Amino acid sequence: MSVYLDNAATSFPKPQTVLDAAGRVLEGVGASPGRGAHRYAREAMAIVSDCRQKVAAILGVKDPDQVVFTKNATESINLVLKGWLRPGDRVLYSAMEHNSVARPLRKLASQGVNIEVIPCNAAGVLDLGVLAQMLRSEARLVVLVHVSNVNGALMPVAEVSEMCAHARVPLFLDAAQSAGVQSIQAEDLGIGMLACSGHKALLGPPGVGILYLRPDLDVLPLMEGGTGSRSEELEQPEFCPDRYESGTPNLPGLAGLCAGIGYILETGMNHIRNHEIGIANYIENELLQIPGVRVLEPQRRGSGAVSFVVEGMNPADTGSILDQAFDIAVRTGLHCAPLAHQTLGTFPEGTVRVSPGFSTTNENVEYFLNGLRWIVTRRG
Amino acid sequence: MNLGEEPEKLPLDQVASVSAGVYDRSGKMLEQHQWVIRERPVTLYLNGREMVTLLCTGHHLDELAAGFFYAEGFLRSVEDILSIDIDDEAGAVNLSARGDSSITEGLWQKRTISSGCAKSSLFYFSLDALLSKPVKNDIRITPGRILDRVEDLNRLSETYRRTHGVHNTALADLDRVVLFRDDIGRHNAVDMIVGHVFLHGIPLRDKMLITTGRLTSEMLIKAAKVGIPVVVSRNTATSLAIELAVSLGVTLIGHARAGKFTVYNGQESIDVGLPG
Repeated sequence: MSVYLDNAATSFPKPQTVLDAAGRVLEGVGASPGRGAHRYAREAMAIVSDCRQKVAAILGVKDPDQVVFTKNATESINLVLKGWLRPGDRVLYSAMEHNSVARPLRKLASQGVNIEVIPCNAAGVLDLGVLAQMLRSEARLVVLVHVSNVNGALMPVAEVSEMCAHARVPLFLDAAQSAGVQSIQAEDLGIGMLACSGHKALLGPPGVGILYLRPDLDVLPLMEGGTGSRSEELEQPEFCPDRYESGTPNLPGLAGLCAGIGYILETGMNHIRNHEIGIANYIENELLQIPGVRVLEPQRRGSGAVSFVVEGMNPADTGSILDQAFDIAVRTGLHCAPLAHQTLGTFPEGTVRVSPGFSTTNENVEYFLNGLRWIVTRRG
Repeated sequence: MNLGEEPEKLPLDQVASVSAGVYDRSGKMLEQHQWVIRERPVTLYLNGREMVTLLCTGHHLDELAAGFFYAEGFLRSVEDILSIDIDDEAGAVNLSARGDSSITEGLWQKRTISSGCAKSSLFYFSLDALLSKPVKNDIRITPGRILDRVEDLNRLSETYRRTHGVHNTALADLDRVVLFRDDIGRHNAVDMIVGHVFLHGIPLRDKMLITTGRLTSEMLIKAAKVGIPVVVSRNTATSLAIELAVSLGVTLIGHARAGKFTVYNGQESIDVGLPG
């Protein structure tokens, strides 16, 4: 049996409809959307528009034009941080952030942006009291991960958003792990910016990132270029989404993403969430019964990601053995989130992370648990 | 063979007398008879399956097989062994063991895979990573006793003195060498010690492994797997062996000769408060 438990990195396998949609574009459309008035270009543009509408709907955004497509969530995050923050600005970000946030902020700090970490406790729970104090001084932005990619911990977005609104500071939500499994009503929540990827729980192919920008926030673009609009002007268009979408987009990726969201809506996001979180809770409970295994339990679970360590073993070795002896794919190490692992006390070796997906079966889970039990028993 | 204080006699089945010409710089030749160590291939089988062929001196083959299969992760306890059948003439040893070892065989000699996304493992073989655990190490030894036991090792090997063709390895407590093995391969000599310890259930918390070979990661891992807290050599240590010694809590001592030694890890094991 071959078992894939790395859906937090990218979902696999994709629904057949996703493969079909991406393949149809490559076979039958192929044109660059918005570049030309011929039938193929019009059809390509319709695919992009359709995808934008579906993304807007699933993120709780009324105007699809406020949805921007990038190449991945990291690009979306860079776009916001580098297009919004200026030297002298103060930005607050949680101690559970991914390197997609931490690294650009480190770069910006070297250019004069003041970066401050909102502390979380050893279980990854954000300290709202400290955040309230931090928000008493002027800040330009608060960055918060919606669901931790390390252990699936769900962060208190509604509370933080309310605090940010009160302090008149935009909240930038990293929804890379939550979009597709958690219901996100970005506008109702008052979120300023939201970034996520299309290839994780939204079930699309790799190569598409998503960014929602509230209309009142003047974020500068990362780059300029051809947009297929107002081509007579040498200035970059000022309207969304063209302001941020220079160059030919990833049409097969967008078609696949559109099909992925279609699959979620058809199946029901609640159903998928209950399936993945139900499996995660079961895995967590079973792991807790295995002596010598330490589980990083989140206080509130927001995704199917479960992190653990076999005491005394480098997580990379545990992952290697699961792969080599049992053909089980898990993610080990720091998960590109050293800050989160420092917070959770698992730096520098990290953890073993298992993340089930919509198609993970009970048989897959038992096979994984038996493999891990063999490792622990054999280690003695 | 367990030892007291007496050197072993030259084991004639492990050496051969050859005639050779000895030359000096001027071209003068002297015909001499010399003792050389025998080298022979021995194939180890596990439940009838051919696993590995070792080039060795060819003695203590039961210990060699038990030590090899234990160190490689195929045996968990001595009760796993059903029989060890030696065909000395054919150079073959079959160890029959209970239980299904198919998963272990699937992992055998598989390299660990690092993602580059965290501090990587020190181990390069998956089974070593699985089976190596920190050693209980509360031993305290005076410098004099360490040097005395190294001298014992040198004194005990008649084969080495006559052939210069073997590596010597000993298991020693504070007062004496309790087990001595030599072989053309330093790994074989250590595997025999490991095999003897495994077969006879010898307590190890007060023991040192002393070898004439270099202190490499493989030596360190073998010692740690069986639970020997101190490893000593007349020779030097490698960087990876030192890192593993730190990780596994093994006291690692090199360059033990001429009244001195170097402690790479575990200085707390050295008892300087008592006269040697």
